[in-house]
Amino acid sequence: MSLLSTSHLSLSIGEHRILSDISFSVDSGEIIGLIGPNGSGKTTLFNVLSGFLKPSTGTIHLHGEDITTLSPAKRARFGIGRVFQNFGIFRDMTLFENVLVALEALSKEERALKGDLRKVSMETLEMVGLQSHAHTKAGSLSGGQMRLLEIARTLMSGKELFLLDEPTAGVSPKLTQQVADLILQLKKQGKTVLVVEHDLPFIGRICDRVIVMDVGKVVLTGKPNEVKQSKGLRELYFGADPTT
Amino acid sequence: MAFVWHLVILIGTWLPGALTYTMIFGKGKILHFGPLGVSLMTSYATFLTLGATGSYPIAVLTGLGSAIAISAVFAWLSLRLEPDGFGIMSIAVHLSVLSVVLNWSSLTRGALGIPRLPRAPFPASQEGFALVMVVMCIVWVLGMWLLDRSSFGRKIAALAEHEWHSAALGVSRARVHFLAFMVGALGALFGTLPYHHYIGLLHPNDYQFPGLIFFVMLVVAGKPGSVFGVTISTILLVLLKELLRFVPLPPDILGPVRLILFGVILFAAVWYRRDTLFPKQRTV
Ligand SMILES: Nc1ncnc2c1ncn2[C@@H]1O[C@H](COP(=O)(O)OP(=O)(O)OP(=O)(O)O)[C@@H](O)[C@H]1O
Ligand SMILES: [Mg+2]
Repeated sequence: MSLLSTSHLSLSIGEHRILSDISFSVDSGEIIGLIGPNGSGKTTLFNVLSGFLKPSTGTIHLHGEDITTLSPAKRARFGIGRVFQNFGIFRDMTLFENVLVALEALSKEERALKGDLRKVSMETLEMVGLQSHAHTKAGSLSGGQMRLLEIARTLMSGKELFLLDEPTAGVSPKLTQQVADLILQLKKQGKTVLVVEHDLPFIGRICDRVIVMDVGKVVLTGKPNEVKQSKGLRELYFGADPTT
Repeated sequence: MAFVWHLVILIGTWLPGALTYTMIFGKGKILHFGPLGVSLMTSYATFLTLGATGSYPIAVLTGLGSAIAISAVFAWLSLRLEPDGFGIMSIAVHLSVLSVVLNWSSLTRGALGIPRLPRAPFPASQEGFALVMVVMCIVWVLGMWLLDRSSFGRKIAALAEHEWHSAALGVSRARVHFLAFMVGALGALFGTLPYHHYIGLLHPNDYQFPGLIFFVMLVVAGKPGSVFGVTISTILLVLLKELLRFVPLPPDILGPVRLILFGVILFAAVWYRRDTLFPKQRTV
C-alpha cells in the first residue's frame, strides 16, 4: 500500500493558480526526488502536504487515512517530518534545545520509545559533529551547520515521511555527501523521503524515482536515468537544447 | 519596621502577576494587554461572592473559576486573531470588564468600590501576613523558573520565534497558549486576593490604564521572558513607586509626576531593548 498519495490537488491564491491537478503516490521506503525550475511550486506543494496551506481541491492520504483537513501539528505527530528551504531552526535557542524541543513535541508513545530525551538530543548533535556547540545559540551557526542541525533533528524525530526542501543548498561537497548518507540511512530504516533538489547528480545518486514539476503541474515522472535522458527535462532546466 | 513589612507585602502582590505575564508576553511574545482584566474579574467575582455567601472557600473557587473563564477567552482569541489584532482586542476586553464593573452599580457599587473587605482568615498580624507572602513569592519564583526550563518553556519559546517551524515539529499552539493563559489565571488570583485583603478595599481605580502600564514596565525593564530579571524589576519598581509617595509634593502634582516618571522608565527600557522586544519573525 502506498504511504502517501495525493489526488487532484490544486491550490489557487487570489487569482493565481499555483498548483494544478497534482496526483501521485509514494510507497513506503521510497526516496523520491522532486525537481523543477524555480517557482514551479515545489515548496508550495510541501506546504500543502504539511498542512500550512489548504488545497483548493483534492485530497491527501497518509497511511490510507485522509489527512487533508488536519492541522500541521497533528500531521507532524502523525508522522510527517519537514526540513525547510530557509532553515527551520530556532536561532534564539541553543542547539541542544533545538533538538530537545523537537523530541518533546513527539507523541507520548514515540517519546516513551526514545527514552532519555536529553541523551538522545546530545547523540543527535554528535551524529553531525555539532556536540561542541551544544549550548551556543543556533543563530551563531554557519548556513551549512544550520542545515545539518535541522536535518539531524528531523531525522532523529522518528517520523515516517520526510519532506526535505533543498537540504544541500549552500552546503559544501563534503557535507553534501554526509547529507546523502543520512538520507540513505533513512531508507535502510524503511522510511520514506521526498526531497526537493536542484543538484541533479545528487538526485541521481540517492533517488528511486523522480517527479518533475513545472508551473504547478507534474510534467514527468520516472526513474532518475529515464528522466535525465528526457528532452523535456533538458529544456526545462537548461533552456532550449542546442543539439536538436 | 511596619513600613518594611508593608513594602514586602506589596511586592508580593505584584510578583505572581508579573511572573506569569512575562511568560505570556515576554517569553511567548503574545501581544496580551489583558492581565489586569483577568485580575479585575477575579477580584470582583471573589469578593462579591464572599459578600453574598460569607463562605471563603466558595468565594475563592468562584474567583478561580472566573479567572480561568476569562483567561480561556483570551487564549481562544489569541489563537483566532492576528497578533496585532489580539493586542487591541485584549485591551478592549479589559475595558469591557472595567465598564461593566463601573456601571453595574447595584451589584458592584460602581466607582465607589467595595470597602471594608474582611481580613484574610489567617494570619492575623502584619508580620505574619508578610512572611506568608515571602514564602509564597519564593514558591512562585521557583515554580516559574522550573516552568521556564521545562518542555513547556521550550515550546512557547519556539512558537514565539517561528510558528510554522514549531508546528512542523508537532508543537500544538492551542495547547501551549491555553496552558500559558491558565498559568496567568493563577498568577492573577494569587496576586490580587492578598492585595485586596491587605488594603481592605476593592476599587476599580486599581485596574485602570496606569496599572497596565506598570505591568508592561515590570516585564520590559526586567528583560522579557526572564524570571529572575522580572523578579528584580518588580522588587525595585514597586519600591520606587511606594517611596515616591514621600516626595514632598501636593497629591495632585505627585500623581502626574509619578506617571511621567514611569513613562520615562518604560520609554528607556523599550528603547534599550528595541531589537529584542519583538524581533522580526522570519517568515520564509
Ligand atoms: N502565498 C503566496 N501567494 C502568492 N503566490 C505564491 C505564494 N506562495 C508561493 N507563490 C507563488 O507560487 C509559485 C511557486 O513557488 P514555490 O516557492 O513553491 O516554488 P519552488 O518550486 O519551491 O521554487 P524554488 O526552486 O525557487 O524554491 C511562485 O511563483 C510563487 O511566487
Ligand atoms: Mg522552493
